This record gives sequence, C-alpha cells and structure tokens, in this order.
Amino acid sequence: MTTSAEIRSLYVHVPFCHTLCGYCDFYSQVIDRRSVAPLVDALLLELQQLAAEHEIAIETLFVGGGTPTTLPPEELSRLLRALESLPRGEDTLEFTVEANPATVNSEIAGVLARHAVNRVSIGAQSFDPSELRVLERIHAPKQVVDTVAACRAAGIERINVDLIFGVPGQSLAAWESNLERVLELRTEHLSCYGLTYERGTPLFRQLQQGLVRRVDAEVEAEMYETTIDRLGAAGFGHYEISNFARPGRECRHNLRYWHNQTYAGIGPAAAGFVRGLRYKNVPDTAEYVRAIQAGRSPRIEHERLTLDRTARETAMLELRLIEGIDRRCFAERFGHDPMDLFRDAVAKHVELELLAVDEHALRLTRAGLLLADSVIADFL
Amino acid sequence: MDQKLIRNFSIVAHIDHGKSTLADRLLQRAGAISDRDLKEQVLDDMELERERGITIKASAVSIDMPVDGETYMFNLIDTPGHVDFHYEVDRAMAACDGALLVVDATQGVQAQTVANAYAAIGNDLEIIPVINKIDLPGAQPEDTALEVEHVLGIDAEHVQFVSAKTGEGVEELVRAIAKVLPPPKGDAGAPLQALVFDSVYDDYRGVICYLRIANGTIRKGQKVLLMGRARHYVVTELGKFRPAMTPVASLSAGEVGYMVANLKKLQDVTVGDTVTDALAPAAEALPGYDPPAQMVFCDFYPAGGEEYSELRDALNRLSLNDGSFTFQPENSDALGFGFRCGFLGLLHMDIVQERLEREAGVDIVQTAPSVSYEVLLRDGKVQRVDAAGDLPTPDKIEELREPIVETQMIIPAESVGPIMALAEQRRGEYKSQEYLSPQRVMLTYEFPFNEILYDFYDKLKSATRGYGTMDYHVVGYRASDLVKVQLLVNGQSVDALSFICHRSAADRRGRRILHRLRQEIGRQLFEIVLQAAIGSKVIARETLKPLRKNVTAKCYGGDVTRKRKLLEKQKAGKKRMKTIGRVDIPQKAFMVILEPED
Ligand SMILES: Nc1nc2c(ncn2[C@@H]2O[C@H](COP(=O)(O)OP(=O)(O)OP(=O)(O)O)[C@@H](O)[C@H]2O)c(=O)[nH]1
Ligand code: SF4
Ligand SMILES: [Mg+2]
Repeated sequence: MTTSAEIRSLYVHVPFCHTLCGYCDFYSQVIDRRSVAPLVDALLLELQQLAAEHEIAIETLFVGGGTPTTLPPEELSRLLRALESLPRGEDTLEFTVEANPATVNSEIAGVLARHAVNRVSIGAQSFDPSELRVLERIHAPKQVVDTVAACRAAGIERINVDLIFGVPGQSLAAWESNLERVLELRTEHLSCYGLTYERGTPLFRQLQQGLVRRVDAEVEAEMYETTIDRLGAAGFGHYEISNFARPGRECRHNLRYWHNQTYAGIGPAAAGFVRGLRYKNVPDTAEYVRAIQAGRSPRIEHERLTLDRTARETAMLELRLIEGIDRRCFAERFGHDPMDLFRDAVAKHVELELLAVDEHALRLTRAGLLLADSVIADFL
Repeated sequence: MDQKLIRNFSIVAHIDHGKSTLADRLLQRAGAISDRDLKEQVLDDMELERERGITIKASAVSIDMPVDGETYMFNLIDTPGHVDFHYEVDRAMAACDGALLVVDATQGVQAQTVANAYAAIGNDLEIIPVINKIDLPGAQPEDTALEVEHVLGIDAEHVQFVSAKTGEGVEELVRAIAKVLPPPKGDAGAPLQALVFDSVYDDYRGVICYLRIANGTIRKGQKVLLMGRARHYVVTELGKFRPAMTPVASLSAGEVGYMVANLKKLQDVTVGDTVTDALAPAAEALPGYDPPAQMVFCDFYPAGGEEYSELRDALNRLSLNDGSFTFQPENSDALGFGFRCGFLGLLHMDIVQERLEREAGVDIVQTAPSVSYEVLLRDGKVQRVDAAGDLPTPDKIEELREPIVETQMIIPAESVGPIMALAEQRRGEYKSQEYLSPQRVMLTYEFPFNEILYDFYDKLKSATRGYGTMDYHVVGYRASDLVKVQLLVNGQSVDALSFICHRSAADRRGRRILHRLRQEIGRQLFEIVLQAAIGSKVIARETLKPLRKNVTAKCYGGDVTRKRKLLEKQKAGKKRMKTIGRVDIPQKAFMVILEPED
C-alpha cells in the first residue's frame, strides 16, 4: 500500500458469451464475430484514455464478463497484451481472467499464460448434468476437469471455481456431492453462490410462471452452512460471504472492492470508483463502441460520494468479509468508530446475535451471514 | 333588486346524475362564463374534486338570468351527491326556497335521490324534478318521471326533460325556474337576519361567510353581531359569487352572497349562526343546523416519529379549510404520538389523508377506522368510545351500545333474495320493502353501522351487477353483545390492531385476522407470536418463524451502487411501517381488520 498511484486495480468487461444462461443478469450478448474487433479496439482506446488521465501502477487486473475466453485467440491476445504492458505497481501482479469450461482449450490457456495471466476463474456452477440444464449452461461436467488441467498444463496455478447452490430441484445431498467433486480438483479458491433469481432474467420468469420452484429456504440455508463446514474441514478459509480460499490465496482484486478502494473499469457496463466518483459505462456494446469511436464518454452514471455515504458503503461492503470492519482502519479513514456511527444498527443486531463486536472489529456471526442483507440494510 | 325576481335554489341528486354539469349549462345560459372559459363542472374547483370527478363541497353562485324580457337573479347552489357530504345538502337547502331534483334518465330514482327528495320536502322547498341525460341511448325519460311521481310523491306537472350535456331542454328549465319556484319571502325593511350557511377559509381575507339574507339589509362597513357567539364584527367586504367573488355595497332580503369580517379561523364562526345588526339586533336568531356529525374515527401516526409536529401543523392547516373533521392528540404505547381523527365517512377520511400527505409531505400510518360506540358504565355514566383501545375493562361496563343506521337500498327486483341474505349476515333488521316499478325495489333495513361501513357497498354492487345504490343515516344507539378482541404481538397488546365485534363472530374473525396479519407482517429476524384474546382468554394464535436467509450471494464486478440501491430499496420498504417491540408492522397490516370475511 505504499504507492501513491491512483489506479492500481482495473476491471475489464468483455460482453460476449456463446449462449446466455437463464439465470444470468450480467450484461452480455451472444458473440457475433463482427463485433469483436471493434470492441477490442474500443477497449484499447478507453484504456489509453485512462492512462492519459490517471497515474496507473497496476497490481490487480480482472477480465470478466460475459466470457472473455469466447474471444478468438488473436483478439484475446491483442487485449491481454495491452493489459500486460500497463505500468506495474509494487505488489506482484494478480491477473485474473474469467473462463467457461466449454471455452478453454490448451490453445486459449496458452494465450492466457503467455500474457502474464496468473489466475483463472472458472464458471463451473455444477457437476450435475440436470442442474446444468436448469441453469442453461452449455458445458458438460467433465469439461470442468479438462479446463483445470489445461490451465495447469499452461502453467497457471491459481484457479478459482464458481459453484451455485439452491438450483431448482437440487437436494442437500446433491449439493454435497458437488462440493466433493470440486474438492477433488484441489484448486486454491472456491466461490459458492446461492442462486439469485434476478428480475428480468428468463429464470425469474419461469419462477413466476411456476415452471421452476425455489429450493426451500431452510434447505438452502443448510446448503450454505454445510458449505462453510465442509470447505473449512478441507483447509479453506472462509473470507467473504460466498468466497473461500487457501491461506494467502484470497482474490486480491475482489478484496479491493470489498474494502471500498479505488478501481477503474473499462468496457460496456463496467463500473469504476476513481477519485471519489462512482461511474458506470453504458450497458450496450454497440453504443459503447460508438461513443469511444466518436471520442464521447461512454459513462452514463456518475455519483460523487460524500464522506458519509462512502463510510456507509464501506460498512456495507466490509461486513461481507468474515473479518468484518476493522474499527481502527475505519476510524482512521472516516473519523468515527463504526460503533458510534452505526450505534442503533449495531445495538439491534448484537442483541439479535447477528453481529459480533470486539475491540478490533465488527463482524457478522454465523447466523448473521445468512441474514447479511437484513443486517447491512440497517447500516445504510 | 326586486325581490320578486330572485330565485334561490339548490341542485340536488344522486351522485353522478349530472348536477354540476347542469350548473355549467345554467351559468352558460346566463353568460356568466364565456364559452371559451368553459371547462366541465366549473363549480368543482378544488383540485381533488377535479381529480376525482365528484363534488365534495357545495358551491353557491349568483347569475343574472334574462327570462321573457325580465332579468332574474338566480342564486343556485350545486351540492355534492355522496352520502358523506349529505350535511352540505342540508345546509344548502336551508338557504333556498326551491330545489332542482336531478334524476339520471338511464338510472331512475336512486338511494340519494330519495334521501335528497325527502330533505327538500322537509325543508318546505318547491321541487322541480329534472330528468337528465335524455341524450343517452338508454334513457327512459317518461318512466323516470313516473317513478319520481310514484315513489317520491312529487307532482310531475312541472317535470323538465334535459340533457345537461347537449343543453337540450335547458331553455324550458330556466323558464320553469322563473315561473314555478317562489321568490324569497322576507322583508328588506325588517331588522337584519342573515343565515351563515357555509364558510370557507381564504389565505388573504380570512374566513368568508356565505350568507342568505332572510330579512333586512346588510351593508359594507356595518357593525354586525354573530348571535350564537354574541360577538361583534365590522363588515369589511360584501359580495356575490358570479362565480368569481364580486364585491357589492349591500345585500338585502332574499339575496345570497358572502361577507368578510375579520374572522380569523373557521372555528370563529358556527355555520348556521345568524348575523344581525349590532345596534338594532333582530329579536331572535334563525333556526340553525346541527353541526356535522363525525361518523368514523381513526388514528394518524407519522410514519417517522420525528414528523409529529409536521403532521400537527398540517392538520391545523387543513382544518382551516375543512371544519368537518376533528382531531386530537393521541398517544399509543405501540405506535407513539399521533392523532385521533373523526370524519363524516370513509370517503371523507380518504380525502383528508390524501390532502395531508400531499400538502404536508408526511407519510402517514393510519389505523383501521372505527365507528363510535356508547358505553354505559356500572356507575351509570355514559361514555363515547371511538377506538377499541379506549374501551374500559369489561368489569366496568354495564352495557355496550353500537350506532344503528337506517339504510335504504334500491336494487333490481331479482336481487332481493341475495341482498336479504347479505343483510342477514350483517345483522340487519328488516323494515320494509317497496316496489318502485315491477323491476325495482327499495329495501329498508336497520344495520349496526359497523357492519356496513367497510365493504357492504361493494357487496351490494356486486350482488346487483352494479345497479344497487344505498343511502343511510344514523337513527340511534342500541345495546348489543359486543366484545373487544385484543391483538398481541410478541405478548405486547396493540390497540391499533384490536377491534370490537359481535361475540358470535369473535373467534372466526380473530383467527382470520391473525392469518392475514401473519402474511402482511412476514418473517423477520426473530420469532413472532401473534395472539388474539378476549380479556385474558386467548382465542387464536399464530407463530412466525424467524427469517432464515436473506443474503445476496454476489457482489461482483464492482457495481457497488446497484447493490447499495437494492438494499436501500429494501430499507425504504420499511418507511410506511411502525415498529412494535422490534417487530416491523407495515401499513397494510393495520387495515386487515377491515377486510371482508371471504
Ligand atoms: N350523456 C350525458 N352525460 C351527462 C349528462 N349530464 C352529466 N353527464 C355526465 O355524467 C357525469 C357526472 O356528471 P356530474 O355533473 O359531475 O355529476 P354530479 O351529480 O355533479 O356528481 P357529484 O357531484 O359527484 O354527485 C359526467 O361524466 C358528466 O359528463 C347528460 O345530460 N348527458
Ligand atoms: S456464461 Fe456467464 S456471463 Fe455468460 S450468460 Fe452465462 S453466466 Fe452470464
Ligand atoms: Mg357535482
């Protein structure tokens, strides 16, 4: 944390996927070969712009989407090369690319490795073919194993796998066997998300039409608790509501978000937080490309945060971390001990045993993790 | 002005039969509004009236009407049709010698037609039946005229057929008003007696009194006496509504107009009071009116406790404009500081609430409306109770009495069976049945007011395919086997959720209401026990298990704003809520008491 450069973390959004999954509400579209080159051109231009206006000393890079690995190898290279050559910061670079099992072969893995990518996050979601069908994922369970192998063969050791629990029709036992399968892969990082029915997605409509049924809240809660226990027993540290890592292998890029630190974002729908300003780019690839080509700003949302709002957002984000809000750091940053700033909320949730307080930190209890949104809402 | 050329009349009718539209045509005929200025229902000038398309407040207007070479002065009062505002009609009639009884030719005589006709007869008014909407394809003018004659016993000799929309028949109506309605009596030379038949508040002039001069003459600058209050004032302005307020130097017997006299608050003047000359007072006052009776009561609490003083100021301000609702401070253990308010009916309650929220920007949590009960205590005292929470403990109560309303329902003949069954369910007592025509029947029942207050009208409408109408008025109080069902949330009794009902219905209602409360309150962070009890006996119980899971799994891509907004929305959902103990109770929960049984 010694460098004074403004931008040490960068997110890059690649808005293409092979097919769209029914539950997903990230901004993405089915890949269309003709839009790829203009998008990559635009990304590189936006990057140049960013570098011209800010001092960059990059320490974490995250290329997400969408599915960056749907890009044809030469276009992917073009993008990664530019990112790879950004000025570096003092910390060693953590360079993550999101990948989907059906999109990574040894060629793509090789491209990633050649351009300094040292971490891959694989959207596996499930090892059960019927669950994958409900989620409208295109890959076969076996491809997850192959993808991990391909990355390792290319020399990328740091691997995360995403899983989803609470898939319609899933039993507790079925989830447990997913956990066993993923542990066999011996990755250093796991993300386990409870399925969210996002408004506007096909899955949400199916839910409303009664075509799929929510997993019982009680069962879903058990799935989550089982996850914490099982992964803990396997040597993973639980460090954020949905994230687990072997010691020292936490995702540094995401930790920046959760500590409400500065990061830049480029690409359609990308969000950034720079110089106290939150912004978001237009979530429309064609519009984004047009804006960049015409020299217009692609940003559509701007919000300048007051100190109070920043403090509240920081609490919102840090409470997602298992270590919680560090009272001293918080007080240094915002001038108030969180115990004072959030007195009523703290009192209420400590009494309900959803929040634990000691001299160093404020953190969610095990029960509090399950009710994080209810608790956090009171801090806003 | 030659008194013989003055005509004072009100326009009365069932709701929506076209009173205000007919008033438009009369104003237009007199040239009081240019065709260019004409919008529909010009006399409905309150924002809420225009939004809802109904008349809430009576409006008086004076117009010069040329008829057969003479110029008459028509003082007409457009009145509201809705039952909540019936007292406005009564007031208006006391200032008139005649009435136009408007009846929609497609609908015939309806419940408020009957009520208004009887009121007009009771006030000795000369009535001209006006059969309206004859332009409509379904109109049955002749049958409607027969119905008026047959049902209301009003001579159809002078009946007029008009379309307030097209203007057809208005010419003949104007002539009939001039020829049939009597000029005002009264002696311009006698001591001054002027009836205050309405009052409104104006930000600049203070209170404006609507006057009907019964005898004598009133002049600008005159020193007058309000007889009921025994207070003196100087008349600073006199005028007529044409329809804009237009000053005049004097008003004499038979005329209608307004007076401004340094009255600061609506409460400074009683509607129904008599204005007389301070130096040469009249021997006696004119007969006044009973003040409007508040029929339903509920509490308003500011959703955020801090907004108490905003709410109080808003209530004060509103009472400057509307003297017919009451409010007094109320303090509930569960809900904190608020106000108990009394209204003329549910429509009135809605209107007041809407105006408060709109004009004061205060979010209000409202408790379920209740009628006003009468309690005979063991010690012989009689007490009014207008909320279940205020009921004394059973050991102190000798007798509990509920308000009874006589209700007229006009319905199609084939609906008599279902309506009688409905009336039975609502503890109705049959009084009479009268055929208005072979197809239509007027049923008269007495009901406990409580039983018809909320959803009865909707039920009546649906049982009659929309044709049924009803009107009611209070006839007194009657002892009944009533109990208070107390609701408890986590052991704490919540008056605002408690209710009074007939003993025979207590168990069933208690269970149903708990069931609905359970849905409205929803799972929260801890267990919630809901109970219904009569005294210490629990009659129903529901348990809400704590919420098990509420967590957004993903907070990714750095779109922090979106996440924050989602949580803020979740929090904003709690705005119109009250917290009892730790339990968040949404506004809707307070209203489940009102929901119909099925
Ligand atoms: N076709 C037709 N419609 C009419 C006629 N008179 C009134 N209306 C319509 O009937 C509706 C009610 O008219 P209003 O004049 O507001 O009735 P009202 O009796 O003043 O109603 P309240 O004051 O609410 O009791 C409006 O939509 C009018 O346009 C008529 O002669 N013919
Ligand atoms: S592959 Fe990922 S980004 Fe694309 S639609 Fe599926 S979940 Fe969304
Ligand atoms: Mg009207």
